[in-house]
Amino acid sequence: MRVTTSNTFERGIDTLQRRASEMAEAQQRLISGKKIARASDDPAAAAQVERALVREARADTNQRALEASRNSMLQAESALGDVTTVLQMARELVVQAGNPSLDDASRRQLGASLLGMREQILQIANRGDGAGGWLFGAQGAAAPPFIDAPGGVQFRGTPGQLQVPSDGALPLTADGDAAFLRAATGNGVFVTQAAAANGPGAWIDAGTVADPSALTGDPYQIVFDIDPASGATTYAVLRDGAPTAITAEPYETGKAIQFDGMSVTISGQPAAGDLFELQPSSRELSLFDGLGRLADELARPLRSGAQRTQVVQEGLRDLDAMMSNVIGERARLGEVLRRTDATEQRIADSRLLAQTERSGAEDVDMVQAVSEFSTRQTSYDAALKAYAMVQKLSLFDYIR
Amino acid sequence: MGSTTAMMSIGLRAMLANQAALQTTGHNIANASVEGYSRQRVELATASPQYTPNGFLGRGADVQTVTRMHSDHLTREAAASRSLASMDAARLEVLQQIETVFPVGEAGLGQAMGGFLDATVDLANRPGDTAARQVVLARAQDTASRFASADEQLDAIQRHLGERIADSVGKVNDIARGIAEVNRKITALEGLGQPVNDLRDRRDQLIASLGEHIQVTTIPASDGSIGVFVAGGQRLVLGDSASPLLLQPDPEDPSRTAIAVREGELVRTLPAAYLGGGTLAGLLTVQSQDLVSARTQLGQMAAAFADAVNQQQARGLDLGNPPAAGGPIFTTGGTRVVASAGNERDVNGAFVAQVALAVDDASQLVASEYELRADPGGAPGAWQLTRRADGLVRTIADGDTVDGFTVSLGTPPPVATDRFLLKPVSAAADGMRVALGDPRGIAAALPVTATLAADNTGTARVASLTVASSAIDPEQTASIVFTSATGDYSWELRDRATDTLLGSGTGTWTAGEPIELNGFELRLDGVPRSGDALTVAKTAHPAANNGNALALAGLRDLALVGRSLQPSGEVGAGRSFTEAYASAMADVGVRVQGARVTADVSAGVAAQAEQTRAALSGVNLDEEAARLLAFQQSYQAAAKVLQVAQSVFDTLLETTRT
Repeated sequence: MRVTTSNTFERGIDTLQRRASEMAEAQQRLISGKKIARASDDPAAAAQVERALVREARADTNQRALEASRNSMLQAESALGDVTTVLQMARELVVQAGNPSLDDASRRQLGASLLGMREQILQIANRGDGAGGWLFGAQGAAAPPFIDAPGGVQFRGTPGQLQVPSDGALPLTADGDAAFLRAATGNGVFVTQAAAANGPGAWIDAGTVADPSALTGDPYQIVFDIDPASGATTYAVLRDGAPTAITAEPYETGKAIQFDGMSVTISGQPAAGDLFELQPSSRELSLFDGLGRLADELARPLRSGAQRTQVVQEGLRDLDAMMSNVIGERARLGEVLRRTDATEQRIADSRLLAQTERSGAEDVDMVQAVSEFSTRQTSYDAALKAYAMVQKLSLFDYIR
Repeated sequence: MGSTTAMMSIGLRAMLANQAALQTTGHNIANASVEGYSRQRVELATASPQYTPNGFLGRGADVQTVTRMHSDHLTREAAASRSLASMDAARLEVLQQIETVFPVGEAGLGQAMGGFLDATVDLANRPGDTAARQVVLARAQDTASRFASADEQLDAIQRHLGERIADSVGKVNDIARGIAEVNRKITALEGLGQPVNDLRDRRDQLIASLGEHIQVTTIPASDGSIGVFVAGGQRLVLGDSASPLLLQPDPEDPSRTAIAVREGELVRTLPAAYLGGGTLAGLLTVQSQDLVSARTQLGQMAAAFADAVNQQQARGLDLGNPPAAGGPIFTTGGTRVVASAGNERDVNGAFVAQVALAVDDASQLVASEYELRADPGGAPGAWQLTRRADGLVRTIADGDTVDGFTVSLGTPPPVATDRFLLKPVSAAADGMRVALGDPRGIAAALPVTATLAADNTGTARVASLTVASSAIDPEQTASIVFTSATGDYSWELRDRATDTLLGSGTGTWTAGEPIELNGFELRLDGVPRSGDALTVAKTAHPAANNGNALALAGLRDLALVGRSLQPSGEVGAGRSFTEAYASAMADVGVRVQGARVTADVSAGVAAQAEQTRAALSGVNLDEEAARLLAFQQSYQAAAKVLQVAQSVFDTLLETTRT
């Protein structure tokens, strides 16, 4: 084939330019460390990088949501810890109040201390989260969420918990309503209560569940009577006002009375017509109302021993219920925190995975890049030499 | 019998012939690097012999003609492949500009949309915090301005394309006139009987540079002129007259540039597909395909994103006093209908028929333009709608909804020859901006809140509460009581203020399925027990509620771009916003990659064809040097012949003197 001078020059220059631009590309990759500057460099890898970037940003956002949740949960958990401590102290006071040697004035003092504790718990319940919200703000609440109003402390909010979208939803607030106002009344299954008109001689304990399968969930009354002839004390059990099989049973102080799966103990000497009620338990025991009522009862003078025992009995029962409710809430928060830790690990894993994927898609393999660069350098060098040598040749040099 | 005169005549002829050959070699050397030059050669022929009774005596050699080393076929091949190469190069160049509108990573639209939605998570973390709201607004601003600027970049590319097309058309017309002029000269000069090699080279060269702009076919005429035709038979040059290409707005869409030719009174538009090759073909193809595709994909994302955010915003409550449904965050460029320039007009020149577009469901919009025309079968009330992106043809009636938008025809309806170009998404990103200025206007709260009764015994809890329709009435309180352990429930709707019973009923909850009432959707985790109750009531403290911020953040995972309506009536999943961007970016990337390969290949083919042509026609200086030497020696030999003839003559004179 004929070789023509001008075409040879052109092609030689084209080749040199191509080699130079290949070398520049390899150099650029070596300097930036990236394979992909534009989508067209590798469309599939570019899309992969894009997705990985989105996942990384998502992981960062999830982590921020998680921090917000953890911050609130830690504070709420510690607040409930404080409440537990205060309740513990309250319980000691009530036990102390059961001491028969105390006079009315001492008991009134104990009642006043209980009121102070109630105030303390109210302050804890109204703690802020440091960012303008309320630790126990539930699904939104007024500021502050708990207010001491006539008729007792009210929760002015919507029960429940706000959520934040992390890797799975995490709670942002604790439910103040559930923590402070929703302890179970009585022993958790039923509530024992002496009627207000009862004589001062007898008291009833909190009762226990003897047979859970026999429970009916109905209200019961235990009515006492004293036979005028024999002077024997008897009692009858009414179920929701209707007579049951237990009628005119002889009463013995401190002996358990059992019916329909429940077991209660009435002690002391009941008067004729004394009435003890057993209502099904509900989750309506307010911690504040309970402490307030107890303080009032302790402050009331001139009570009989049986009445004082009844107050202490009920007080301890209520305090235990409150304590168990608060501890339960605290355990739930602790569980959330544990879940938070697991979530944090998941977020870190997914971020790492996204970073690895992005790096795999866009980062240059340095060994390969260096070898590629030196290959291209060599071929550019060779092209230059060949061009210089070939272009030097001309017949005119030999015609003299 | 030979004579010394004849010998001298031979010597002289030989000298003249070799001089011509030397001159031609010199011409070749001089033109060695002139583009398009074909080397020339002097054709020598033995002169007719002289008769003598003793036989025919040779009379030397004559210059017969000067030919150029040239093959029409190879020249055509080289010009055609160069034409294709410049088409591919032009397309690649513009595609690379389009590619910069879809950058990878932080600078991209995907990250902007993701950033906005991620910011709503921070809003959910602190629903009442003005700083978090400011961040959401700033991200919205960023997203909107990136969309608008991407659209602006595409506009700039479109303008640049228009300028380049105009530039090319100008050059084509100049060159066509040049060819006509050279045709005239060649016809005139070749009347003398010899080919005008240099002018023919010049004409070939002009035709080759014409081919860079537009692919041509040539037909030689008997008078030495060449007819040049484009787009499969449109006359550009015939003899010594050139008919110029015209530049005009595309009759289908005046925002685009089209080229046309005049045939008598008629102006005929040349579609890109007919041009075959050349820069113009490349530019027109990019304009009608790649740029449209980029713009519709951009618009599809903008429309779907803005609509999804605005709808979700409308379902929530802002921080106003009193709290109200959130106003739209984004405004987009809307839809466009372009009437074809040839549509029927009234006496004032306005179009008679009008067509209107309305978007019903932005998540079903397809990245395409549509062509609307009367049903070619002539069925009354039927219209043919062609989806440009994939050529899907559908027959629709007035008011039908297709691909998420509704087409309404005005009165009077279009006539049979009317054409409309429908652009449901193309302009969506145009001037996209944030309509909301007040950070308190972001609707982070839901109008209703679900509350479980405190003494529920089951494990059911609220997994999510969402508002499915902005028509929800928060003044209605819904109470749901489960009546069995298997999910049966009864519900009641009561007026919040008067407690009047507004409705009641029963239903069965199954795990994973929402309970739908009064425009809300409630999903439960866990298992409810008989007697468990929950209420969904008006949100009492909107400032602290983050329900709608959660729903906004939830948009990150919803596939709301390009959902398709299945024949069953169900809506199939589309792509999430960030995924839609990744695939739009990859789509442009693939186009560029493909165009680059094509351009490399066609440039290689063109170089090869040029090399083949040059192998025949090009000048090799070493060869010319050798010829120089050869002709010089021949010239010296011829001179020697003269010298010998003279000495023979002298000898003769000497002899006669004695």
